[in-house]
Amino acid sequence: MSERREVALVGGATTRFGLRAATWPELAQEAGAALFRAIPALQSAEVDSLFVGAAEPERFAFQSHVAPLAAEQMGLTPRRILQRTELACASGQSAIRSAYAAIASGLSDIAVAVGVEKMNLPSMAEANTSMACVMDRPWDGAHGATAPPFFAMVAQRHMHEHGTTAEQMAAVSAKNHRFANTNPNAQFHEKVFSKEKLLRLPLVAPPLRLGDCSSMTDGAAAVLLTAAEFAGRYTDTPAWIRGSGQYSDFHNLANAGSLTEWAGMRRAAEEAFRSARITVNDLDLAELHDCFSISEIVEYEALGLCPKGAGGAFAADGSSDLGGKIVVNPRGGLLGCGHPLGATGVAQAVEVFDQFAHRVPPARQVPDPNWALVHNLSGSANVHSMMVYQRGG
Amino acid sequence: MAGATPGAQSAGRSPGPPEPPNERPPFLLDFFPLEDATQTRLSRFFDELRLGRLMTTRCPKDQSLSWPPRVVCPSCHSEEMEWVELPKGGSVYAFSAVLAGAPLGMESEVPFVVGLVDLDGVPLRLFGRIVGKSWEACRLGMSVAAEPFELPDGRVFYRFRTEP
Repeated sequence: MSERREVALVGGATTRFGLRAATWPELAQEAGAALFRAIPALQSAEVDSLFVGAAEPERFAFQSHVAPLAAEQMGLTPRRILQRTELACASGQSAIRSAYAAIASGLSDIAVAVGVEKMNLPSMAEANTSMACVMDRPWDGAHGATAPPFFAMVAQRHMHEHGTTAEQMAAVSAKNHRFANTNPNAQFHEKVFSKEKLLRLPLVAPPLRLGDCSSMTDGAAAVLLTAAEFAGRYTDTPAWIRGSGQYSDFHNLANAGSLTEWAGMRRAAEEAFRSARITVNDLDLAELHDCFSISEIVEYEALGLCPKGAGGAFAADGSSDLGGKIVVNPRGGLLGCGHPLGATGVAQAVEVFDQFAHRVPPARQVPDPNWALVHNLSGSANVHSMMVYQRGG
Repeated sequence: MAGATPGAQSAGRSPGPPEPPNERPPFLLDFFPLEDATQTRLSRFFDELRLGRLMTTRCPKDQSLSWPPRVVCPSCHSEEMEWVELPKGGSVYAFSAVLAGAPLGMESEVPFVVGLVDLDGVPLRLFGRIVGKSWEACRLGMSVAAEPFELPDGRVFYRFRTEP
């Protein structure tokens, strides 16, 4: 690879996630305010570029051209690059990846990546309709394919092929909800979900119950990225972007191949680890895309944290919890925090920065973390996006 | 329902399942493909489907089958795709059911079953609605067959029906 500049993530913040009495522009304003509070040294005129992760503002907020809208809401006047990134559930990470590329290439020095999504509408059937057009709409969506029935089929196959159980899936959800109780911005903050309670919740798409599914969530998050020479202005504990990987090999569900072996995630992980010059065993924490409890189980396996088929046991025996082999989703995950599509990937990066800086409550602080992975899948797990961070300072 | 006057009011509820509305929803809330030749180069798929044939495209150069049907081969980028008829029978590789959170226009169909079906004798696994059995009675590997059905506005689409 030709020469590229090192890029640091130097801080970030999220709004409160949940069923919010706030519009898309109001959430963008809140994210801006939270970012400037989190990074007191930041002057708005220093920000030369803005990347806006937003999955479906045209449908959820009836609003296009959201990049300048977000800039105005946040009080930014970008002079180099202003753009929106859309990659469904990975739109937020896409904004960070674009900012990373811009800074690494020298086109930008100081950039903000913000993710915003407003999903709760007066008509939830309309919102569900919009979720179905993330799929191949005329061929898959037309049959009623939204995310829950697709991931339910993943769970059904994983149970059939590997003996994974509803209790093991509930263990994922219980862990992430427990972490969410330490996160005041989480949608399900101060709500207790024991494994027993999760197993009594109604079925949404069998075998998935309500507690196996992330929710429709309003929220926003923002981070600041800089070239190495500017990082010291804003923080003593930069999170260095050391690697990234991305892979996509299908879109229509007919072309998914095995539902239980996410080959695309393996390819993305290989590239992320190769570019960061680490292995999975170097990771201290991972923010994995737990849109459904079964997703996190398949992701353990695709990352190589455990053998194929052993993901359920990996969750149930505490291997992905504090004190385990790796801590997965200490922020509370999508299950506990909610999943505002454009904001999720950015909020995961905020957690990595705060974990490195020891700024999170002790109940979810990973001891002395040095390496972290952020992963998002999008759509029907047909795209996998990953970034690897190393603690600096 | 075929030939229903556009704009006619829904007949309301009769005994049995509720009637779907007769009006075509606004395009941005309409899931189904635009099927006629003024809108798509794949209109033959829908013409054949109406006659009971499930078709897709094949590249004459490398013989690869595509789903959904296409106008350009993804491997060699040939634009000379040919139509072939697919077997209608298949077995269920995976299924689930929508018990809540259905999209607009599908709420009255809840609960409904969807699944991935391995078509007999060809390397294609199609996603679709499965009718004929409740989700509790469906099993992995069970046999189903593709069939056409008509939408309220006269368009046609496909689904799978379980064998008796």
